[in-house]
Amino acid sequence: MAGVISARAISKSYGDRKAVDGLDLAVEGGAFFGFLGPNGAGKTTTIRMLTGVLRPDSGTITIDGHDSRDRQHIASVIGVVPESRGFYDWMSGEEYLDFFAALYRIGDRARAVRQLLADVGLADRGGTAIGTYSRGMKQRLGLARALVNSPRVLFLDEPTLGLDPQGQEDVQQLLKRLNEGGVTVFYSSHLLHEVAHLCSVIAVINRGRLAAVGTLAELQRQTDSEDLRDIFMALTND
Amino acid sequence: MYRFIWLKDLKAAVHTWKGLVWLLVTALIFSAASYLFLTNRELSLLDQTEMLWLLGKVIIGAALLVTVIDASSLITAEFENETIESLLLSPLSLGGLVLGKLLAALTTWLVVYAAAAPYMVVTAAGSRLTGAFLVYVGLFGTLAVLGFTLLVLAVSFFYRSLRNTLTTSLVILLALALPALFSPVLKTSTLARIAGVANPLDSIFAGLDNVLVDYHTGLAANLGFLVPVLVFCVLALGFLMLSVRAFQRRGIAKD
Amino acid sequence: MRRNLLPLVLVAGILYAQASTPLPLVVSIRSERALSGVAGEYITLEAEVVNVGTQPINSVTTYLSLVDVGARMPVDLEDWSAEKGLFIGTITAGETLPLVWKVHLIRSGDYTASVVAEADGADLPVVSRVTYLKALPKRNLNPGNVLPVALGEPILLVFGFLLLRFWRTRKLRPD
Ligand SMILES: Nc1ncnc2c1ncn2[C@@H]1O[C@H](COP(=O)(O)OP(=O)(O)O)[C@@H](O)[C@H]1O
Ligand SMILES: [Mg+2]
Repeated sequence: MAGVISARAISKSYGDRKAVDGLDLAVEGGAFFGFLGPNGAGKTTTIRMLTGVLRPDSGTITIDGHDSRDRQHIASVIGVVPESRGFYDWMSGEEYLDFFAALYRIGDRARAVRQLLADVGLADRGGTAIGTYSRGMKQRLGLARALVNSPRVLFLDEPTLGLDPQGQEDVQQLLKRLNEGGVTVFYSSHLLHEVAHLCSVIAVINRGRLAAVGTLAELQRQTDSEDLRDIFMALTND
Repeated sequence: MYRFIWLKDLKAAVHTWKGLVWLLVTALIFSAASYLFLTNRELSLLDQTEMLWLLGKVIIGAALLVTVIDASSLITAEFENETIESLLLSPLSLGGLVLGKLLAALTTWLVVYAAAAPYMVVTAAGSRLTGAFLVYVGLFGTLAVLGFTLLVLAVSFFYRSLRNTLTTSLVILLALALPALFSPVLKTSTLARIAGVANPLDSIFAGLDNVLVDYHTGLAANLGFLVPVLVFCVLALGFLMLSVRAFQRRGIAKD
Repeated sequence: MRRNLLPLVLVAGILYAQASTPLPLVVSIRSERALSGVAGEYITLEAEVVNVGTQPINSVTTYLSLVDVGARMPVDLEDWSAEKGLFIGTITAGETLPLVWKVHLIRSGDYTASVVAEADGADLPVVSRVTYLKALPKRNLNPGNVLPVALGEPILLVFGFLLLRFWRTRKLRPD
């Protein structure tokens, strides 16, 4: 069973520092997969390798049955909210989404853009320059961009970072709806409680290695504790 | 694909004022130069053809300065504003990205050239050289801008930061322009002459001299001046391909 | 005495003639003694060559020679005139042939022009008197042409930018 996302023994070093060290991952289609780890654990490095913008030093990755070096195919099936969150501040939200809709060869761009803005709750601010957006609005716009090609697999690198509780709730509701519609979600976070109430499967990564993987119940059994904080500390302490 | 990058950067140049300010700066340089030619006593003693040659140098020099500065931020801004990852995640190929950026830089040159054209027409009036002036400043300028843009893009992928890219590019531009600024004085030594053969800017200015001062307006008579510029473009293209390949190997994270 | 000497004189004369007798040709520039024009213009230089001897002269070639008086250097005529030299061929006795050069005044300066004629078997070419040629610098940059552009273009650009800015702020709705 290869799954929709499959990584075998992938490693990546920056100079002497091993950021990811022989990681194996398998994510089933339709899963809401939590990717949990403390800061610097290697989450972003892993996501960059999975999404094809960073080559692993060793190991193999397949997404939707295609090797990760097949960028054209992968780009068409995945959507990504990456850690780097730059926008073109002079554009309006509409112009920004239209630009990416063009890069993804979307047919009726005006309609697609309107729909995306509505989906993330930016419909009334689409005509305003992005430079005037709040952090939360930019986050929503980034999510809208990730959805521009109606992806089957969605990668999110700490998507609620810097959002107020309402913003976090909005984003999570949207992701739940998408997951119920069949989209596989790969959700990275350093907060266990966030992952715990969203995800069907949780992988814990620490120092570039897989510390544990399973449902929340399985993790609780494995660490012999109920408390989320204790579980997290037990799995990421060395 | 590359079309959308090209268009985006053109819009950015207009909407962020960046391109507009550069255009105004170049127009003011051309105005100052032609005003000086009219009023400065020593300069106005020059032959009209020599004045055209000087103005041609000013136009190509100013255009190169502007396009090098402008092109330096084309790729590096995507890195510094952290927008590069979203581009690399899209179906846009790296080649498409580079082509779009290259076309954006060449468009900047086209606009500068269009701004220079009225100055060329009025200063060349009555010299029978108007056509040749327009054609050869266009031809030499396009090749020079092409070569330098390829070089700047190559350096951009290498450094990924505007500051380093801009510094390196300007140093290269100035080093190549220096002999032309001190032309009659330095050309005497054999070393300077050998360097001159390999220097695309020297070759361009000598070519303009050949056209404007010596009236050799045929293309065949100027092939010798075009060759060093073409060689420069080919070398810059090779450097860009190496730089892009290295970037592809390293990926988005820089170590 | 004299009669005895005659053959000797004749032989010497023939020998001398073969060595260095001037060609019985006269070359003269018919244009004014001082020609002038503005650099970049074309002027016409007219000259003529006359056979003042009693025999036809074969294979006559004439050419124009220019010297830059300021630089004391002969001028490379390649750029200045389409035909530097004119091959005349045979000139019969007493015949006068016109010579015309169209000269492109490439660079301003003072020049002397002279016309030289040579023929087969003659050691000494024949040269005309020099004619002064003045190429005035062309500096009629017309302020009436240049100033409107030098002033007008920046003003137009600023005006255009303001218009663009106006259009953009109207398109981007404020928050
Ligand atoms: N571009 C880089 N150069 C050098 N080291 C890096 C770079 N990016 C990440 N690292 C290091 O790699 C490790 C993993 O980083 P990262 O994947 O960003 O972790 P996370 O996203 O889980 O916080 C960290 O120790 C980090 O310092
Ligand atoms: Mg991270």
